[in-house]
Amino acid sequence: MMCKDYLEETKRAYSPLNAIEEASRCLLCHDAPCSKACPAGTNPERFIRSIRFRNVSGAVETIREGNILGACCARVCPYDKLCEEACSRTGIDRPIDIGGLQRYAMDFEKSFCKKTLESPETKLQKVAVIGSGPAGLAAAAVLSLKGYKATIFEGKEKAGGWLTYGIVPSRLPQEIVDYEVDYIKSLGVEFKMNTRIGTDLTIDQLKEDGYEAICVTVGLQSPVVLSIPGVELSGVTTAVDFLSAAKPTQGAIEIPNDVIIIGGGDVAMDCATTAKLLGAKKVTIIYRRTVEEMPATKAELEHVNGLGICVLPSFKPVEILGENGKVKAIKAVGLDWLDRNTFAEVPESNIQLKAELVIQAIGQKAEEISYTGLEVNGKGLAVSDQENGKTNIEYVFAAGDIVNGGKTVVEAVARGKAAANSIHEYLSHKKNCSHIAEEAAVQKEGER
Amino acid sequence: MAKHKDLSIEFCGVKCENPFFLSSSPVGSNYDMCKKALESGWGGIYYKTVGYWIPQECSPRFDATRKEGTAFVGFKNMEMISDKPTEKNLEMMAKLKRDFPNKVLVASIMGENEEEWVKLAKAVTETGADIIECNFSCPQMTSHAMGSDVGTSPELVEKYSAAVRSGTHLPVIAKMTPNITTMEIAARAAIKGGATGISAINTIKSITEVDFDHFTCLPIVNGKSSISGYSGKAVKPIALRFIAQMAKDPQLKGIPLSGIGGIETWADALEFLLVGATNVQVTTSIMQYGYRVVEDMISGLSYWMEEKSIDRLSDIVGAALPNIVPAENIDRDFKVYPKYDHNKCVGCGRCYISCYDGGHQAIKWDSENRRPNVDEEKCVGCGLCWVVCPIEKCVTPDKTEFHSFGTPREINVIAKKL
Repeated sequence: MMCKDYLEETKRAYSPLNAIEEASRCLLCHDAPCSKACPAGTNPERFIRSIRFRNVSGAVETIREGNILGACCARVCPYDKLCEEACSRTGIDRPIDIGGLQRYAMDFEKSFCKKTLESPETKLQKVAVIGSGPAGLAAAAVLSLKGYKATIFEGKEKAGGWLTYGIVPSRLPQEIVDYEVDYIKSLGVEFKMNTRIGTDLTIDQLKEDGYEAICVTVGLQSPVVLSIPGVELSGVTTAVDFLSAAKPTQGAIEIPNDVIIIGGGDVAMDCATTAKLLGAKKVTIIYRRTVEEMPATKAELEHVNGLGICVLPSFKPVEILGENGKVKAIKAVGLDWLDRNTFAEVPESNIQLKAELVIQAIGQKAEEISYTGLEVNGKGLAVSDQENGKTNIEYVFAAGDIVNGGKTVVEAVARGKAAANSIHEYLSHKKNCSHIAEEAAVQKEGER
Repeated sequence: MAKHKDLSIEFCGVKCENPFFLSSSPVGSNYDMCKKALESGWGGIYYKTVGYWIPQECSPRFDATRKEGTAFVGFKNMEMISDKPTEKNLEMMAKLKRDFPNKVLVASIMGENEEEWVKLAKAVTETGADIIECNFSCPQMTSHAMGSDVGTSPELVEKYSAAVRSGTHLPVIAKMTPNITTMEIAARAAIKGGATGISAINTIKSITEVDFDHFTCLPIVNGKSSISGYSGKAVKPIALRFIAQMAKDPQLKGIPLSGIGGIETWADALEFLLVGATNVQVTTSIMQYGYRVVEDMISGLSYWMEEKSIDRLSDIVGAALPNIVPAENIDRDFKVYPKYDHNKCVGCGRCYISCYDGGHQAIKWDSENRRPNVDEEKCVGCGLCWVVCPIEKCVTPDKTEFHSFGTPREINVIAKKL
């Protein structure tokens, strides 16, 4: 029972009539602020209108053209902070359930095999994409659709990155991730799994193999850990380790009764949901800032509340206590925030909570990427133009979390797309140049 | 107890406790149904049409026109007159009148020839019914000597009205078909033949939707379907028009009218009264929601009368008729500019799109603030903007400008009912 709740999608899907009913609430704005608010250009204005006028295939086409991870994004996007926040209908009552409608269109595509995209048959140059997370998948798909031979190199066993190894299945079932990976494969993208660039293969080898451009979308793989006493205790873990153990085993992990999560983003919420749905009796989230500042989406926060998970905002963990090397409690101090950057500790609100498992969900950082030859900043992130993914190396591009330090899936899709477009520009320019050079050579030959 | 207005009204000389009746249809097919309806508050019943000819019905027999975000707006049915034995129907009608003496029972009848019409008139008169309605208008009869093929022929209408008249002392109503250009001609023929009043409209011949796999309309009855009667909210505007035209016809002056077509609420019913009906009939909304819809019709109409200080319903019958005039009598001396309430506006720009694509490009769109502004040079005052605006009282008629040939004076413009 517990496992079923963990594995099955929480949010109910629309029936066709309900979807049309919801779509008909849309004001069909002249200047559609929802579409402007989508980083990936999923174009809700257009796909809601298609659903409204009974053209669900058209809606599928719009979504796919803008966002190759339309089905995943439909489930994990922070709608309340993007398109739905921009929705004009909010001025009347509540925004259109854009995520729900996007999911409806994507479910329709999946159920009725309504694939709307197709790659050209003739293939252009080879491009290597390093990492199969959202940015890499998006970049490879766009490249393939433009006619390039795109290959994704992935160190892990399964594709999807954080989609596969992180996000809780009750929010994003693995079946949906696999479906979209298969979709991208069907566009001609090749996947080389269990292949780590930097160890199994080098950038130079990729060049030698004929890859004319490389897109680095390796994401952030290392968890950030607290520097407080007790983090080394057994039973103190990180979101990355916890979630990547739970999801691939379909929840077959041991969960103790008292679980503490540290953090306030969707990853923290996913850890809390996972722990609760897999059997923890009491799950408590400790977050440093105020509730208003929590990066988690409203829907996720509501879901967590609905599961009876306690959220303690404005508390800073100060020490993790143990016994025989194993965690037994956590100490935190209440904070009084004066402004976004200044707080005072409130010793009167010191707390100590029983803990058998402490999960740190306070962010991830970049792994060493010197093998790429890319310039990195102080945080170890690739230095790259956010708009086009260009880097210090002409033929290497970078996109997604490794550049922006960890944002949303839809943001990663947007950046992956942008890098692909920029690769396309680079390679077509290169091809033209070589044509011109060839022609010039031929001409010279003739003159002789 | 809540205070309620007296909704009683006289129709064809019969006192009715309220004007809300079931129309002759599946909703009034037997004793138990009618009993439940009357107990729910309906003023009377047009019992499902009785004839000697017994139909064989098809299955399925209904379909609906849907509109996103709403319950169905139109309804198609292929049912004919009662398929119960005539004697059985007569018995049930008699029992109803016995058990509910203060409610009004209208016997709807349909014959295949003069003789049958006379015989039916006599038979239903004996049940104690208060009124007889002649069904000249069912559009889906499999017998062409019956139904709307009769209603479109003034000669047959007059002949059969006269036949019924000869068979009863009761008031006689002729139920008209809308599948005709001018209803007044057939209505006059009915009155000439001896009918007391007119009811309208019966259903409109229709195809609600066509199936893309079986290439026929719906409902599909073993691969085939037929054109048949359309009813429900979608037909109300057409029904109101027919009632208003008959009410304004000098030759039909003073003839009692019963309005039928798309009535779901007290407001729908009131519209029929305002264009001249003294009685209204309902089926589709009952099929959709049940007899209980009458509760809010009674209560809602009563509150409206209270608000308007109207004591007798008959006082407002036909009140809208003097103001419904021929197109040539409309005041064309001025135009009215819209006013956009920028505080109520949510910035959807629907007015802008409609004005550009379906109007006169007279809205200037402030894309920075996402707000419309009228361009008086181009605005013709058509009012499309306030019709399409999704916000209540956001776009309203405002400043009036008289054309050079018009004399400035007070005018009154309302284009959107709230």
